[in-house]
Amino acid sequence: MRELLPILVGLVVGATTTAGCQQPTADPDGQAEDESSTDTEGDGDGDGDGDEELTACEANIEPGPAPIRRLTRVEYNNTIYQLFGDNSQPANAFPADEVAGSFDNQAAALVVSPLLAEQYEIAAEQLASTHAPALMDQLPACGGVAPDPDSCTADAEAFITSFGKRAYRRPLTDDEVSTYIDLFITGTGLGETSYEPVVGVEVILQGMLQSPHFLYRVEFGAAELVAGGEDVVALTSYEIASRLSYLLWNTMPDASLFEAADADELQTAAQIEAQARRMMDTPRAREAVKNFHRQWLGLGRIEPQIAANGKNLEIYPDYSDDLLSLWRRETEAFIDDAVFEQGANVEVLFTANYTMMNKPLADFYGVTGPTTDAFERVDLDPSKYAGFLTHAGLLALYAKPDRSSPIHRGKFVREVLLCQSPPPPPDIVPEAPSVDESQTTRDQFLQHSADALCAGCHRLMDPLGFGFEHFDGIGRYRETEWGLAIDASGELIETDNDGPYDGAVELAAKLAASEQVKNCVATQWFQFGYGRTKTPEDSCSVEEIQADFAAANYDIKELIIALTLTDAFRYRHVITAEESP
Amino acid sequence: MSIRKNHRLSRRHVLRGLGGAAIALPLLDAMRSDSAHAGPGDTPKRLIIMYTPNGTVPANFWPSGNGPDFTLSPILAPLAAHQQDLLILGGLDLMSSLKGPGDAHQKGTGSCLTGTPLLEGDFAGDGGQSAGWAGGISIDQEVANHIGQDTPFASLELGVAVQDPANVGARISYRGAGQPLPPENSPYAAYQRLFGDSISDPLAVERRAARRRAVLDAVGDEHRALRDKLGGEDREKLENHLTAVEEIRDRLDEGVISFGGECQPLQQGALLDPNLVSNMPFMGKLQMDLMAMAMACDITRVGTIMWTRSVANHVFSFVDPNIKEAHHSLAHKGDEDAPKVAQNTAINAWYAEQMAYLITRLKAIPEGDGTVFDNTVILWTNEQAKGNNHSRYDMPYVLAGSAGGYFNTGRYLTRPDQPQVPHNKLLVSLLHAMDIDADSFGDPEFDTGPLSGLT
Repeated sequence: MRELLPILVGLVVGATTTAGCQQPTADPDGQAEDESSTDTEGDGDGDGDGDEELTACEANIEPGPAPIRRLTRVEYNNTIYQLFGDNSQPANAFPADEVAGSFDNQAAALVVSPLLAEQYEIAAEQLASTHAPALMDQLPACGGVAPDPDSCTADAEAFITSFGKRAYRRPLTDDEVSTYIDLFITGTGLGETSYEPVVGVEVILQGMLQSPHFLYRVEFGAAELVAGGEDVVALTSYEIASRLSYLLWNTMPDASLFEAADADELQTAAQIEAQARRMMDTPRAREAVKNFHRQWLGLGRIEPQIAANGKNLEIYPDYSDDLLSLWRRETEAFIDDAVFEQGANVEVLFTANYTMMNKPLADFYGVTGPTTDAFERVDLDPSKYAGFLTHAGLLALYAKPDRSSPIHRGKFVREVLLCQSPPPPPDIVPEAPSVDESQTTRDQFLQHSADALCAGCHRLMDPLGFGFEHFDGIGRYRETEWGLAIDASGELIETDNDGPYDGAVELAAKLAASEQVKNCVATQWFQFGYGRTKTPEDSCSVEEIQADFAAANYDIKELIIALTLTDAFRYRHVITAEESP
Repeated sequence: MSIRKNHRLSRRHVLRGLGGAAIALPLLDAMRSDSAHAGPGDTPKRLIIMYTPNGTVPANFWPSGNGPDFTLSPILAPLAAHQQDLLILGGLDLMSSLKGPGDAHQKGTGSCLTGTPLLEGDFAGDGGQSAGWAGGISIDQEVANHIGQDTPFASLELGVAVQDPANVGARISYRGAGQPLPPENSPYAAYQRLFGDSISDPLAVERRAARRRAVLDAVGDEHRALRDKLGGEDREKLENHLTAVEEIRDRLDEGVISFGGECQPLQQGALLDPNLVSNMPFMGKLQMDLMAMAMACDITRVGTIMWTRSVANHVFSFVDPNIKEAHHSLAHKGDEDAPKVAQNTAINAWYAEQMAYLITRLKAIPEGDGTVFDNTVILWTNEQAKGNNHSRYDMPYVLAGSAGGYFNTGRYLTRPDQPQVPHNKLLVSLLHAMDIDADSFGDPEFDTGPLSGLT
């Protein structure tokens, strides 16, 4: 998904021939360079100028690919909560979701192994046995000492219809209803006594929770082709309801979305936008936005990764694993506050001179203010700190156990914030220098610019990472390193906002002002929101998202609303079924 | 001696041998001994693969000497008790990992058991998001396709502290291109999965099985109907999911494993956190115990144990308290950094010790005139040869066990006369050892037949 901008592609080629950064032979680790042409200006297929392209986008409906999406563990847990009010989070026992790009919800990577299929079965059985007894209230004719099987089955049919609609996120077909009636009748005979309706309900639940229509988001779209597209259909209102709820809430549709879908009122852009705005204004949307940042920035890795690798306590005696969740929560709370309380735009995430802390975290940073475990706003010295980039968790994550790591921090900025991939390191990597108390980290890594073998690629990373040298391996501000003066100057190159800077605050300001960073944020949201990377067919959808984002002065919430209004969100290509093998 | 009175094949044997009469264990033992002597095809052969990451220290890995006259190296020394059962294979190259997308670690891991380059994809690695899953079926699954139908589980994928993220660096087994199988990190969950029914109330188990049949028949129909309406990759996805559902469904008719003979319940001891690095020695033993038990009970004949993951940053302070750096960064230290090389050597020697433990366990399970180990081959694979330069030439392969006399063990083989030998040849040899006909495995570019000189 990350583009190598044309200029960077040029550099890669240059690096191969001059600096020799890449492995010369035998191991072509190279990026798929054709991806670079996807959404840069004047891309191949538009033969006219910008105005004509816009017209072409309006005239032509092109949704891009729409792969079937398996529920992630988060989505499964949330959906179970919506279905049953059950907060047991059964998916936590499933194998971890496969992660592609930065995200755990990418359709192409998510698969169902036999192990996962077994765990779906076990979870379904546990949920069924927990909840079937209470659900029997919905089947009154099945109660009593000797219920009449016909009346009981009639109640079961009503239950299948109502519960099934929520589980499948659409009304069941007649065939599906009769399948489940049969299953219910079979189930009533599988208890300890000769007729046990509760077992019938249990097997209904077990079946529905293992159905592909529950476990995947299945979409076929409307029956009629739309004008203006090639083999394109609009999604049904039920399908749009699911797309909205899983994008904005990471869970199944609520009653209001079902109502709108029942009335087929999720078809026009205005209808969809109105729902999206309603949904954005709820706590669940904040959770979904948190989920995005946890994955995009790597906040979710702060605890497991740093705990696994540890920090050197001789160098960082103030470190303890207890800090890890505080670090993650600081950045989450800051972004949540900025986006939802301050209505901040993306630039503010980079430049804000405040953060969110509680007492233990304030003690770690050495600032005063918070007196309890609750996170509250703390203003920071704007000459030292700027937005999430100077948060300890991220800086400690992109660091070594015993030192800062300008390379990892620079790579993070280049890859995650600028959406550019530095070429891969050669297979033979010289040993990194060990900590040396007579030199600053920066001086030790200057070798990268001195050595032609390293310089070609490291010039893309190190000069970004050096900006953070006032922050040590646990992300805390330092005036000096081993008593030596710190040089935190650097230079942004191969971006749309190149130039020298000094320190993290100035770097953050340059990134905040960069169009490329904003497009990168939009690209990351595209990938997270749609569960896939963008393709050349998505150029119009991407343009629309970026334009809406810019028009809203880069408000994150407006970016998410924009995601719901594109061709990619509202339409799909007709599915061409193959012959059965 | 294993007791398998309830699963299909042995039930058939039992019925044929005893006319369906109630059986006493000694009789079953005798009958099984007969079958073990009946020649190829009837002898249950087994394949176990262990994966460890980040390369080895070649200077401390390769034995001295050659052929049957060799002296084990510092890393392989823990295997001394089993030296005559080893086949140490020099001169093999992970050629299929030298092409395609991905970085060195990703390619080495995806390629090690599949012999294919990776698919294109979006996994993050050095060099950006280019790598996908491996491009073909892995050798263990290929073997399971041939011999797995006779056991309740076609194969068993276990892991030891395989940390997230779940991506190409955390998977070695594939049912096909882009179809990875996750390893189970928790020996407790794995035990419950394999033997849960055997330690539960039989009546409750049968009642649950009846419900499962009804449910899975309906669910299977739904999968089939949906699959038929889809195309392309979505269809493949449903097809694979359906296969898994059908396997679970079929297993219901296999009945439960009965304990008896060598097939005995495991005492797993105190419940500890399987994900903690410091618990690795304990979890590793539990997983190997379980693997051995699965073989003893003939619940499967194919297994993998994935130790950590590619680019594992586990700190092996339980091997040596002086080890404070993560495995991957230790593996990257230069050859001249003697203390760090010694630590990396110790980590790899610890892995050899684990392999020795597994061998010992399998040797303790009688089968016919010998032991289960006699009919087993274990492959120890890595995703690199040398950690500090990502070299995938001269891969540190070790085989243990003859697979029923197929391999001529007790030797260290080198191939100085052959500049490049794709490891696909080793994978073909493993197929042959398991009595599976094949001329090639993995990437067709390395369509080169088996290795010479192993038998």
